[in-house]
Amino acid sequence: MGAVFRYTLIRFRGRILAWGLALAALGLFIIPFYDLYLEQEESMLQLLEAYPPEVMAFFGGMADITSPEGFLDGQLATLPVILGIFAVLAGSALLARDEESGRLDLILAHPVSRLALFGGRLAAFVAATFAILTLCWLGFSIPLSGSSMGVSWGQMTLPFLSVLAVVLAFGTLALLLSMLLSSRRRAAGTAGGVMVASFFLSGLANLNADLEPFARILPYEYFQGGSAINGLNLVWFAGLLAVSAFFSALAGWRFQRRDIRVGGEGSLGLARPAFLSRLRRTSL
Amino acid sequence: MNLIHAAALVNESPAIITRHLTKSYGPVEALRGLDLDVQRGEIFGFLGPNGAGKTTTIRCLLDLIRPDGGTATVLGLDPQTHPVAVRARVGYLPGELHLEGNHTGRRVLRYFSALRGRPVAWDVANALAERLRLDLDRPVKNLSKGNKQKVGLVQALMHRPELLLLDEPTSGLDPLMQQEVLALLREAKAGGATVFFCSHIMSEVEALAERVGIIRQGRLVEVADTAALIGRAVHHAKVQFRNPVDGDVLDGVPGVTVLARDDSRIFTLQVEGEMDGLIKALAAFPVTHLETTRASLEDVFLAYYQDDDVPTEDH
Repeated sequence: MGAVFRYTLIRFRGRILAWGLALAALGLFIIPFYDLYLEQEESMLQLLEAYPPEVMAFFGGMADITSPEGFLDGQLATLPVILGIFAVLAGSALLARDEESGRLDLILAHPVSRLALFGGRLAAFVAATFAILTLCWLGFSIPLSGSSMGVSWGQMTLPFLSVLAVVLAFGTLALLLSMLLSSRRRAAGTAGGVMVASFFLSGLANLNADLEPFARILPYEYFQGGSAINGLNLVWFAGLLAVSAFFSALAGWRFQRRDIRVGGEGSLGLARPAFLSRLRRTSL
Repeated sequence: MNLIHAAALVNESPAIITRHLTKSYGPVEALRGLDLDVQRGEIFGFLGPNGAGKTTTIRCLLDLIRPDGGTATVLGLDPQTHPVAVRARVGYLPGELHLEGNHTGRRVLRYFSALRGRPVAWDVANALAERLRLDLDRPVKNLSKGNKQKVGLVQALMHRPELLLLDEPTSGLDPLMQQEVLALLREAKAGGATVFFCSHIMSEVEALAERVGIIRQGRLVEVADTAALIGRAVHHAKVQFRNPVDGDVLDGVPGVTVLARDDSRIFTLQVEGEMDGLIKALAAFPVTHLETTRASLEDVFLAYYQDDDVPTEDH
């Protein structure tokens, strides 16, 4: 499992640097703006008042944009979705990419168990996500010393832990779907769709209370954002990690039991409803 | 059964045993009760057209796919319950080899060795690469199909496995390299390894395999020593007599059928089994010319398949 972890992490290193440095640069750019916000507080509040109330409600109020947590809330709101793109693509490709290209056959012909391969790759994915967020956190934390925000590096860690938990939930969902659906693309597309739906439903639930039950079953609702600097909601955090663990366990269970596809094969042999088969034959 | 006895059974059992092995892909039955025995230390050629079930058999033996029914034993172990132990003793070359394109051959070998939990035996790997004229320091994506195949062969052979499972081992190689690979496989056998390979190149199977199994629509239809199988094949002969001869004389020879006659002096014959009867019959007449075509494994193979529809998928 050690070799699998090491080699998978090596494969991730380009993406760790690209995503991590890009998001760190974003932090280095954004945090100094806080002082500008404070200086322009009056005009900023006027600007916010000019927004339609629906837009304000979508982003959870944002009335207190000049407070550190309010400011960070606004800046970090889309981070789970941005980094979620990495997580969904990487999660869906973790095993399915090698399987679709035909490489998994040869890898699994070596004395490595499916569980070890799965565990090693999953651990490397988690480590890669953690590494990207660490770089990102550094980018948001380094400017703190020159800012009047009054947030410590330790406090800044907490929103990023929340991001990590949400992103892992989307990534492991993509991994699970890649074990269930007939192609990696479908898995990535479906998990990406769930991620975007989760983001919008969370916002729209602030406008329409009827949507709240739907938002509550999706991960983004449990992203704390900037308010985490005042204390991480451990129930939400642990809940998201538990969901990720559940998705991972299901994916591992499925990977242990199913056939490995030959490169180019599209089907995992899942039962297709009879009417769909008939429909396909008719269309041909 | 005590542990020592069990270990002895594992060491002495045939290299491969399958019993009533079945596997379907949806409505397609790839294996329909395959019974196969491959003895330790032999070179066994597994023949069949595309879709006959060759690759499916190998993938079942490696636990890459799970059979629907029946049993398989590899080196005395069940690959489903002891997949890691089986794979530790097996070298595998897939029919369609896919390697990480950005890696050099050397890095690919290092990765596979790491999966085996041991450092690369570079003395063996370099020696193999040298014999195959393979540059291990070039990225795989820059290698030709044949050179990629050589990387696959090196990874299959470099840890000196007890059993080699090779799907089209000489695919993409030039004739010189094909001969070198056959030599390497003979050396592996001489070193005690069992070689189980699939191939479409009949001359290669004929030259290498001690026994062959012919699989047809997921069932083993023939297993025999290669030489004996060829000996049982139909030969063709063309004989020219100095004077006209009554064809009935030849038609009466056991195993001989007259396919065509020209001017009662030139006969085209089909001979099943040994030629002895025909030669003795011909001795009674003055013969000006005799031409026989040597039966090949291809003739045997084609005889099994001539009535089949051509399958289109690889299984």
